[in-house]
Amino acid sequence: MAEGAAAATGFPDRGAAPLASLPGRVRASNAARTAVCLALALAAAAALTLLFGRYGERIAVQMCVNVAAVVALGAFCGNTGIVSFGHGAFMLIGAYLSGLLTMPAALQRTALPELPALLAGWELSVWAAAPAVALAGLAFAAASGGAIARLAGASATIATLGLLIIVHGVALGAREVTRGSQTFFGVPRATDLAVALGAALLFIVVARAFRESRWGLFARAARDDAAAAEALGVDPRRTRFVAWCVSGTMATLAGALYGHMLGAFSPASFFLPLVFAQVAMMIVGGMTTVSGAVAGVLVATLLQDAVRQAEGGFTLLGVDVPAVFGLTTVALGLAILLVIWRRPRGLTGGRELGPGPGARLFAGLAASVEPAPPPARAVAAALEAQGLSRSFEGVAAVADVGFSAPTGAVTGLIGPNGAGKTTLVNLLTRAYDADAGAARFGGADLLAAPRTGVARLGVARTFQNLRLFGGLTVFENVLTAALAAGRPRARAEAIALRELAAFDLGALADIRAEALPYGARKRLEIARCLAQEPAMILLDEPAAGMNPAETDDLAARLTRVQAERGVGLLLIDHDLRFVNRLSSRIVVMNRGRVIAEGAPETVRADPAVVEAYIGRGRTASHAKLHTPDQTEGETT
Amino acid sequence: MKTSIMALAAAGALAGALAAGAAVAQEEYVVGVMSAQSGYLAPYDMPAYAGFRFCVDEINAKGGLNGALPVRLIVKDTRSDIAESVKVVQEMLDDGAQFIVSSADADPTIAAAQITAADGVPTMTFAGTAPVLTQVGPHVFGSYPADNQQAAVLADYAHAEGLRSVWLVKSPDSAYTLGGPEYFGEAFEALGGAVLGTSLYSLNQPDFSAIVTTIKAADPQPDVIVTWAWEPDFPAFIKALRGAGVETKVMGGDVLDTPTVRGLGPVVDGVVHTSGGFPQEGSAYADFIDRFEAATGVVPDNNYYVNGCDIAGMIEQAVAAAGSTDPQAVTAAMAEIEDGEGVMSDFTFKGTDRMPLREVVVARITGDGGKEFVKRAMADPATLPQP
Repeated sequence: MAEGAAAATGFPDRGAAPLASLPGRVRASNAARTAVCLALALAAAAALTLLFGRYGERIAVQMCVNVAAVVALGAFCGNTGIVSFGHGAFMLIGAYLSGLLTMPAALQRTALPELPALLAGWELSVWAAAPAVALAGLAFAAASGGAIARLAGASATIATLGLLIIVHGVALGAREVTRGSQTFFGVPRATDLAVALGAALLFIVVARAFRESRWGLFARAARDDAAAAEALGVDPRRTRFVAWCVSGTMATLAGALYGHMLGAFSPASFFLPLVFAQVAMMIVGGMTTVSGAVAGVLVATLLQDAVRQAEGGFTLLGVDVPAVFGLTTVALGLAILLVIWRRPRGLTGGRELGPGPGARLFAGLAASVEPAPPPARAVAAALEAQGLSRSFEGVAAVADVGFSAPTGAVTGLIGPNGAGKTTLVNLLTRAYDADAGAARFGGADLLAAPRTGVARLGVARTFQNLRLFGGLTVFENVLTAALAAGRPRARAEAIALRELAAFDLGALADIRAEALPYGARKRLEIARCLAQEPAMILLDEPAAGMNPAETDDLAARLTRVQAERGVGLLLIDHDLRFVNRLSSRIVVMNRGRVIAEGAPETVRADPAVVEAYIGRGRTASHAKLHTPDQTEGETT
Repeated sequence: MKTSIMALAAAGALAGALAAGAAVAQEEYVVGVMSAQSGYLAPYDMPAYAGFRFCVDEINAKGGLNGALPVRLIVKDTRSDIAESVKVVQEMLDDGAQFIVSSADADPTIAAAQITAADGVPTMTFAGTAPVLTQVGPHVFGSYPADNQQAAVLADYAHAEGLRSVWLVKSPDSAYTLGGPEYFGEAFEALGGAVLGTSLYSLNQPDFSAIVTTIKAADPQPDVIVTWAWEPDFPAFIKALRGAGVETKVMGGDVLDTPTVRGLGPVVDGVVHTSGGFPQEGSAYADFIDRFEAATGVVPDNNYYVNGCDIAGMIEQAVAAAGSTDPQAVTAAMAEIEDGEGVMSDFTFKGTDRMPLREVVVARITGDGGKEFVKRAMADPATLPQP
């Protein structure tokens, strides 16, 4: 079945690896991809050092410090999709704090005579100072993250720029601590190759572990679709906050590393030129992955240092080539343009380098997790709305709507375009705030719940316009939903396997959702819903765009799942044959109001329903309500 | 047998050549030059390097330092990046640099000096003027009159002109834009003047109307406004000031000594600034300009060219005084130079903290885009504002 589905979708046959081995293969793939990142950094540092001696070693030190800084930057930017210019602020804090704590006391008394006693005279080793530096970074990240995490997209980027400017300004003003705009010197130059390389490797491991962790998955899910993440119970703000704290702490330590490489610096050393260079490296490599950050730094470093050799002039075959300075900047600029033109997602194409879970390398791994058995049947409860209303700019999209949809049954919700069906679902799931009315499920007040709390009350939904986490694989999409429902990792993996099998997605498990064909995307969205083991699912046009065969297949799967788990379905669709086939009861809306409800045959004969669909003056005998209507467009 | 003889002869010739090469290598003086050829330091490093290179070439044409020791330059672009500066200075030391000339700013100079401190390799900034940069170690030297010297001479001139109150306009964003006005205020108050007020701006601030309004509303009005602002801040400030009808005298640091500022026309007419030198007719400076133009086709239009040339002269005089190329000996000799001969002006390191004591020129901008010589003076080391 799985292989058949793969062939049908045009994807290569991923071999006969059983679905039960998927979690093990994913873990092995993650480990291999981390190893590839480590190997890249190690190989570059080793090659530079072995081939070019001390000269190459210095390039390697600078490269490793940049790897640490850019990987730290990517831990936020890559997982949240927000480009940050604020990480220079963390680096500044790390460099100055570590410098203060490690500076020789005698020099400190001369250079910083008015330094507050709390910071004076520590003269620690770099290693002893590191925990304090990390804690300071975490504290600053927590303090600033509360504001940054409230924002998304360009607003958040501007806010990070503001943070950099504020911290830069404070550093200039705090002359007693930083010497203001004057050079802060006397910082022990402790960042040698061993320290820089060790830090780079450690940062890679931490960033990779965070990316694949529960919080990394949540952050990437919210990055790809905040509304869908909220519907699963994932709070995008919290995910951004966590990513900001992790990334900020790492960047603070990277700043200390940078400071101990320079030995002397000023606030300008951490301002826009540094930040732009690091963001450019991240984007060149590929912002969304750790291997992209590593590759970006490697390529930029090697390119710049290779070109630099030619800048000072040289003799080639007896011909003196004059010095031409500025070539490095030109070369890097051209490289960035070339990458943006040819590979908009960066050199790594938005994928972690290394074998995926479907690679033959992992085909022999034994099954590690068995698919979970079906969940216990849903307890009897009902989704109920009374007097629910919502207007937009004076137009009543939903007006005084009341209905009931029990678990253990499929309730159809139909109506012509603009009837208010999707708005009703959005009200029930708190995507919109209701102007008036009440909504309950099993006694719980849905309207009192936060947007991310509806899922925990047992109500899940799909979206009229597909809302998948496009950058996540099929498996990760479903796994994220199970984790968001509070399941432990192993249990969540078992649940994910069950839903992948139920919707014939096993062969596509390691494909990114954005690359799936349409029918598979539709099935994935429902599978993701079911992974939360809800008692009530609101399906908003699940068959839209499907061909008849796909629609029949979906109907069969929904029927089976519904019967097996006793879950309640509120089914919205324009394919009335599909709705009639599945529903035991149908609610009909028109112009924001419920105009009829009852058994399918009763509703079909209702003149008000006929009029709503085909217009006034036609008779019921002309109304072919059982005919699929596949030409409907967007509804409200 | 014949082959063996030929092989031996070839080996001997190679060994001889290598020995000769080694001898040549020992008879040259290697100077590493950190020169920002791009980035924010390029406007200062590029002319300074051009002047330095020109005079090193002249020295080498005469047989090298003191006619005997050719100079070999290792030139590396730092891109105005401090991390790059740290890397290239280490590379230059690896390549045998016996003297380091660093970028025209405190950050890269101090970062480099911390590295050259290990072997005591003398390190001199192209045109860094922050007095603090020599605090890193006894092997670090300035070359240009420091900010506090310029400020002290300018304060003395202002006081002598009968000006008794000043309004300082400064930016904390750089040591230069902050330090210059502060040193001026300190020296001016020591002379009996008063600082009426201070305004802060940010580098690249596009609008100075708030500062101008504050100054215009000051009661009493200051006799003079002093700023160490550079381009594009100074043009924006002076236009806003004159546009608001404030005709108070304006004075500034040597950074105003540029064709761009002089080209602002009537708004800068009468603006007084310090300068490292002035190419008066018949002076060594004027002769340098003629020689440089004849050789390169470029007219040196700022003091960084001639100061670069003077650095070559300082090295030559220090090596001569040391009688050796040993770094510590050259450092010690440089620190003892008194009334060394310079093209822009003579210089004294002895008795200073190795920021050379040099004459400071006070010049006045004219409305037709030119500048006129006002005075030349040496700051009194005893009354210099301390960093």
